[in-house]
Amino acid sequence: MTTRYAIVHVTTYEYTEPVSLCQNVAHLAARPCAHQSNSSPVLSISPEPAVIEERVDYFGNPVHYFTIQEPHRRLTVRVDHVIGVAPRPSPAPASTPAWEAVRDRLTTDRGTPWLDAAQFAFDSRYVAAHPRYADFAGPSFPPGRPVLAAALDLVHRVHAGFAFDPQATTLATPVLEVFEKRRGVCQDFAHLLLACLRSLGLAARYVSGYLCTVPPAGTPRLVGADATHAWVSLFCGDAGWVDLDPTNDQIPADRHVLLAWGRDYDDVSPLKGVILGGGQHRVKVSVDVTPTPDESPP
Amino acid sequence: MPDRPPDSPPAAPAPPGYGESAGRDGVPRPHWTPLFDSLRDLGPPELVRRWREASQLIRENGVTYNVYGDPHGTARPWQLDPIPLLIPTAEAATLERGLVQRGRLLEAVLADLYGPQRLLKDGLVPPELVFPNPGFLRPVHGLRVPDGRYLHLYAANLGRGSDGRWRVLGDRTQAPSGAGYALENRIVMTRTLPEAFRDCKVQRLAPFFQALRDTLRSLAPRNKDNPRVVLLTPGPYNETYFEHAYLARYLGYTLVEGGDLTVRDNRVYLKVLGGLQPVEVIFRRLDDDFCDPLELRPDSFLGVPGLVHAVRRGNVAVANALGTGLLETPALAAFLPALCRALLGEELELGSARTWWCGDPESLRAVLDRLPDLVVKPTFPASRLEPAFPAELSANQLAALVDRIRHRPRDYVAQERLDLSSSPVLEGDQLVSRKLVVRAYLAAQVGGGFAVMPGGLTRVSASADTTVVSMQRGGGSKDTWVLAEAEVGDFSLLPAANGRVTLTRSGGDLPSRVADNLFWLGRYAERAEGLTRLLRGIVVRLTERPGLADCPELPALLKALADQADPKWPRPTATGAATGAAADPFARVFPAVYDRADPNSLVSVVASLRLVASVVRDLISLDMWRVVNTLGDFPVPANSADDDELTPADLLDLLNRTVITLAAFGGLAAESMTRGDVWRFLDMGRKLERSLHTIGLLKATLVRPPAQEGPLLDAILEVADSAMTYRRRYLGSLRAEAVLDLVVEDETNPRSLASQLAALADDVDHLPRPAGSAGRAPEQRFALAALGSVRLAEPDRLAAVEGDARPALAELLDHVGGWLPILSDAITQQYLSHLQTSRHLATFETPRSTGADAGDRL
Repeated sequence: MTTRYAIVHVTTYEYTEPVSLCQNVAHLAARPCAHQSNSSPVLSISPEPAVIEERVDYFGNPVHYFTIQEPHRRLTVRVDHVIGVAPRPSPAPASTPAWEAVRDRLTTDRGTPWLDAAQFAFDSRYVAAHPRYADFAGPSFPPGRPVLAAALDLVHRVHAGFAFDPQATTLATPVLEVFEKRRGVCQDFAHLLLACLRSLGLAARYVSGYLCTVPPAGTPRLVGADATHAWVSLFCGDAGWVDLDPTNDQIPADRHVLLAWGRDYDDVSPLKGVILGGGQHRVKVSVDVTPTPDESPP
Repeated sequence: MPDRPPDSPPAAPAPPGYGESAGRDGVPRPHWTPLFDSLRDLGPPELVRRWREASQLIRENGVTYNVYGDPHGTARPWQLDPIPLLIPTAEAATLERGLVQRGRLLEAVLADLYGPQRLLKDGLVPPELVFPNPGFLRPVHGLRVPDGRYLHLYAANLGRGSDGRWRVLGDRTQAPSGAGYALENRIVMTRTLPEAFRDCKVQRLAPFFQALRDTLRSLAPRNKDNPRVVLLTPGPYNETYFEHAYLARYLGYTLVEGGDLTVRDNRVYLKVLGGLQPVEVIFRRLDDDFCDPLELRPDSFLGVPGLVHAVRRGNVAVANALGTGLLETPALAAFLPALCRALLGEELELGSARTWWCGDPESLRAVLDRLPDLVVKPTFPASRLEPAFPAELSANQLAALVDRIRHRPRDYVAQERLDLSSSPVLEGDQLVSRKLVVRAYLAAQVGGGFAVMPGGLTRVSASADTTVVSMQRGGGSKDTWVLAEAEVGDFSLLPAANGRVTLTRSGGDLPSRVADNLFWLGRYAERAEGLTRLLRGIVVRLTERPGLADCPELPALLKALADQADPKWPRPTATGAATGAAADPFARVFPAVYDRADPNSLVSVVASLRLVASVVRDLISLDMWRVVNTLGDFPVPANSADDDELTPADLLDLLNRTVITLAAFGGLAAESMTRGDVWRFLDMGRKLERSLHTIGLLKATLVRPPAQEGPLLDAILEVADSAMTYRRRYLGSLRAEAVLDLVVEDETNPRSLASQLAALADDVDHLPRPAGSAGRAPEQRFALAALGSVRLAEPDRLAAVEGDARPALAELLDHVGGWLPILSDAITQQYLSHLQTSRHLATFETPRSTGADAGDRL
């Protein structure tokens, strides 16, 4: 049964000096995928962009490019959309192939989906393999263990062993530092989990999206709401891709709304830009994800 | 092994391997005979003499090469050997065929990997060489390139094995360097050995560059008749910056850095003084991931934000196409023969040195079995790791290398070590043998195919026992002569002596960054001169009279020197408790000359002057550049202040020479530059700096005059270079009001403050302004305000002393001194403001790259 969410995501930058030129790439629209029905997003940008264009990036995500060419001290980017999320069946962990079998076939099989998955097995800008990650992940990956069972065990250990702490890290904190400090935010945990899985030779992608803000009656509020969220999707061979949320120790079901995927944050960051001028700046992000009555999308 | 005079090949046996000039029997190869004959006619002394002349020319022209990893970005003179490498006609034809095929093959590989990627699906290229490759730029995947061409300038490094066959040692596909050095080598050689050049019937390089220029022009998406083509450089810290400036000038392109360009409405513009001018083609010397901080490497601001999108929209062409660095992985060589059969249906004619990619298990075994015969390279050159030569490693180092390879085999490539061929080079007056590598160049041709440069850049090893050829490792270069069978026609891109030109008086539009650099060139030149004159005034007194007591004007001069200092580098004044070393005035003067850490010391100012001059050297005359180069030969003692080798007399001599050199620079600027924007920005910098210097000098000395003022007035006239005029007018009588009139008010004295301000006001009046703008611009008003207050002042009032100070003088100096920074800001705001640097909308800042590592290395 599909759950429908009304999503409002507002990002505001305020500058102490005027910005004369600003060029941006935004991953703020949801990519088409089997378990989601997406309304077309309404993007409102102030000041009015001189150029705004939509295209599909290398990974199949919708992306907006826009530029603001008039001097401004405040930039607001607001996106409104309604997205229906259907629960996804996930494979029984014990039924998935042995993790080594997936690892080995990734290096030899050139057919789809293996070649496509191989894209996500290598180092990327924010996530580089390291023997320390392989050592950390090792206890969850004994020989022959089904890949999803092993990964869920690893997710559980990351969740148990790392503290959610928005003060501990910034965008620039390297994964290795997160690993040593044992604290961070959803994006750090996603990067860490990717680093562990890729250090073992597995393919996994970074997923950016939202979490439902309002918990259903009787269930706890999930961490990471009121902001963009990030999790991981693991390639399980013939069992396909399975999403894993290390921040909440679970397989995302119908409360995770997917926007885009890539190798790491750099491929799919919701909004990145380059500015000329601006002095000091302050950023405010607000996200509202509200379940709406099940009616036809606007 | 005795060396022989330079009229025959070096004595056999040369080092093992193929001899370019002679076989193993020592008999010259036939195609070298005309050269050796010509050298014999010349005779060794004449050859050596001409060579000395050529080397001098190279040094004076400032042909340099920045040694990578030198924190000061020190430029080293380009090393050129006078004996060319000769390639006979037939061999050149074979090479040409092979190179063209290789170029076609590489373009086909690029078209597939940035398109359907069938090569990955068919197993012809391992995904491990593409997906993790930093050169694989996902944002440009699927983009159409003009005429399907990716490689507009492609270079291959060639080495000849002991079997006499040439092989490719490496491909340079994104922004190959060296073609400009090859051209410079050729120009020097035709002057040095014109007889040999004629006798050998050497093919010309110009048609090749003409083909390159035609191709670049053909890429323009619009304005095809006269498109603006720019050469994008990482900047003066890059190791081949000289070449960027040289090629830009030769090909007639504007040399730009990323900050000179901006993207508006999906189009690329060049920022010039008058506004923005559209750019159609970017010929880049910047590695491709550096080209756009928005969509490519976020930590590089050497590029242009939004460039990728402008390319995507087809509004600008970039050569070589973005993403071509993908093929610079040395691992590709292992797959080329199969790729050539699959993509072209041909056998690969010009093969690579044997190559193994360790990511393939069988290749890994083969590599580990024969490691000492191989050179090991990183799979991705972007890692900037140096190649390893296992034969030269200790047992421990070798074991560590093997461990690294086994840990991540796919990160390593091994290549057979060729026993490179040797060619004679001149050492002293003898010929000796050196190993060599030739870099060959191909330019895409309009309508398809490639033009191959009949020549190339030959590089030779640094010494007889070195088998590695690298400019970074101290090697030298040679001109490469491809011989023709018939007479060679004259064709040159250099302006012909009798050609007709269209008469013009404008010099094109000046990029804002260049205007900024010229402004600072003027300021540094004047700052150096002002400081030198002040120092000379102090030192001349120290040499004539030994102590402070004999010299009542000295404390005020030392105060002026202290006031000039950077706040972070205070200089002691003469007042206050001067003890120990500080009591010795000479010890105080010394750091103001020589302390490299002090940004306002003479040596630092001269270094800044030189750097700025090197950036704008395509706009100043060769003579001006030579003058600046002369300053660079500043004799710096090894030790600091306690160095007792250097006497005040030595220092005085240096300061005297420096004053004259700087005067020559000023004279050339005044006499030999047309009064366009180039001169104007230089002049504004000079006038502004001289005004500040004069104000500072008077503030430190005459506002609170010493009891006995005569000697001080004398010193001021000397430092302000106005002593002759004063003596002629007033003979021996030293009066403050007369000195102030001459140094501040008198507009017939080119050294007076009023003269500087009048010139500034005139310069500012002539700056380009938007058509139809009415009234005075802010910078015009500020210049007039400063000039007006000086013109209205009365010398007698200025000289009047109340108590122990001159209040009217103090007020005027403060007032004018206050306007000058405002004027400078207004000029910056109006003409240079778009020089602000870009940054990311993010919560962190990454360190900025200087550009030293953002281009191809030689």
